[in-house]
Amino acid sequence: MSTWYDMNVILIQTTLTTLLLALSIQVPLRFGVFSFAGVGAFGIGGYTAAIAMVRFEWSTWPAVALGALLAGAITLLVGLVVQRLTGLYMGMATIAFTLIVSVLAVNGGDWTGGAMGLYGALGEISIPQLAVVVLVVVGLLQLTELSSMGRRVDAVRDDPELANAVGVNVVLYRRMSFLVSGLIGGLAGAMTTLLRTTITPAEVNFHLVIVSLTAIVVGGSRSWVGALIGSIIFVWLPTWIAFVAEWEKVAYGFIVAAAAIYLPNGVLGVIKDGWHRFRTRDERARAAAVAEEA
Amino acid sequence: MQDVLNAATLGSIYLLFALGMALVWGTIGILNFAHGATFMFSAFIGHLVTQRVELPMLVIVAIAVAVGAAMSALTQLLAFQPILRRAKSQHAAEMRILIGGIGIAAIPLAIAQRETRSSPFGFQSTYSAEVMEIFGLRITTTGMIIVLCGLGIGIGLTVWLRQSRRGLALRAIGVDPETTAGMGVNRPALAFGTMAVAGGLAGLAGALLTFQLGAIAPETGDQLLIKAFAIIVLGGLGSMAGTVLGAYILAGAESFVLEMNWGTWVDAVSFGLIFLILLVRPQGLLGRKEVRRT
Repeated sequence: MSTWYDMNVILIQTTLTTLLLALSIQVPLRFGVFSFAGVGAFGIGGYTAAIAMVRFEWSTWPAVALGALLAGAITLLVGLVVQRLTGLYMGMATIAFTLIVSVLAVNGGDWTGGAMGLYGALGEISIPQLAVVVLVVVGLLQLTELSSMGRRVDAVRDDPELANAVGVNVVLYRRMSFLVSGLIGGLAGAMTTLLRTTITPAEVNFHLVIVSLTAIVVGGSRSWVGALIGSIIFVWLPTWIAFVAEWEKVAYGFIVAAAAIYLPNGVLGVIKDGWHRFRTRDERARAAAVAEEA
Repeated sequence: MQDVLNAATLGSIYLLFALGMALVWGTIGILNFAHGATFMFSAFIGHLVTQRVELPMLVIVAIAVAVGAAMSALTQLLAFQPILRRAKSQHAAEMRILIGGIGIAAIPLAIAQRETRSSPFGFQSTYSAEVMEIFGLRITTTGMIIVLCGLGIGIGLTVWLRQSRRGLALRAIGVDPETTAGMGVNRPALAFGTMAVAGGLAGLAGALLTFQLGAIAPETGDQLLIKAFAIIVLGGLGSMAGTVLGAYILAGAESFVLEMNWGTWVDAVSFGLIFLILLVRPQGLLGRKEVRRT
């Protein structure tokens, strides 16, 4: 077990940070908000933490906290500005926000290190610490998936008018989804940057949007479990299948397209459907028998 | 004046690229994220062919147009059509089409990056550009062809969409697909044709830009995709004249930024425009509210 752990430390670390990034996109989607601002928050969090460490010599955890909070605050502001947009327009406006973050980073001069990015942000984050942070985030998200809170979130997504009618404050919920997405995205950015010790503007690009979106779509967009499945698939697949490693990007393209066409609810959806069929098999057999007699 | 002419050439390239996207999105409601990949891959196939034999310009352009049309039509047939058939609501279909397009776009991009090792590629052609001088302004023959093609096709498409029966049918689909189908318009066939035309336009833009610049990088398509979105939003979705206008406005603004030596801010122009227009005038300059899809 421990040799396996030692051999795959980097992959475990990448899985956890990818999961956080994927969650930052998934949270607004679960609230019915088509926002990619989480990736912009990733950039803001990463840069803030790196600047705090390199320029002001802060220690690791305050820098991470500052990155997450600042990213959350800015994303909430963006949310307030774009909240009346819907669907694709919201999606593209938030993608534009994300890309503006990267243009700002290029033009930040000494602060952001320009196109070369920032180096030497040596954070002290161990894998267990990272895992604890991820567990806390996932635990809090689980609360929004359970019981009445989960049903309110579902209503806000699937039928905002109905949600309004039964007294759920849709606008407030949607604003909160921006805040949460920004906090998680900033956390992901700050931790990823301090683990890698560098951040460059080129990292905060459209590709990052695609990676996180892909993980959610393939895994399942309704629950953090789906984001976890997606992150595991995308980080570990190249190590499992040599063919995939060679044609990595082509394979990803096929997987994403196929998932969009055939698996609207991702792998998690298939598993849930399968479990449901398994549990209700007696009932269905009885119903079929009754239908045959009649 | 020379700068204006250069901006016009740039704007014509943007226009040729954006026209296909605007046509498809404004009528059959598909925001095709694989458009940039179609654009790039058509030029790439032209590059592969001209590595074997040297060809005149017209043949290369014809090849690129044919490849683009075929790719786009296949995308429609294999991905978007099945998604539209399976999806329950327009909103769900939109998001899955977006994601499916992103997945499909990754495939040709990865193949081209692999073959060229991410370095720019060009054509070997018997054609060589000559510099002409009109009223003291210098323009290459390629630039001339691009401007004429851009304006000609842009205006032609606008008029066709307004005057012809097919154009009427397409515009009707843009307003109310259900009723249009009820009035005897064959939606899948028309959608198929529209996608093929859009792909052909992408191929044309790809070949012409490659002739103009000498070589293009595999990633060029992705950058153009965001710019084209800015152009369509600026001009107003569903308005071809708006797209023509938007393309030249964006090219003019970018040329101005370059002229002022703010080179690193060029990308911020299109991202900023998206943001600004969506907030101030979401229907765009020439768009009408009722045609807008959300």
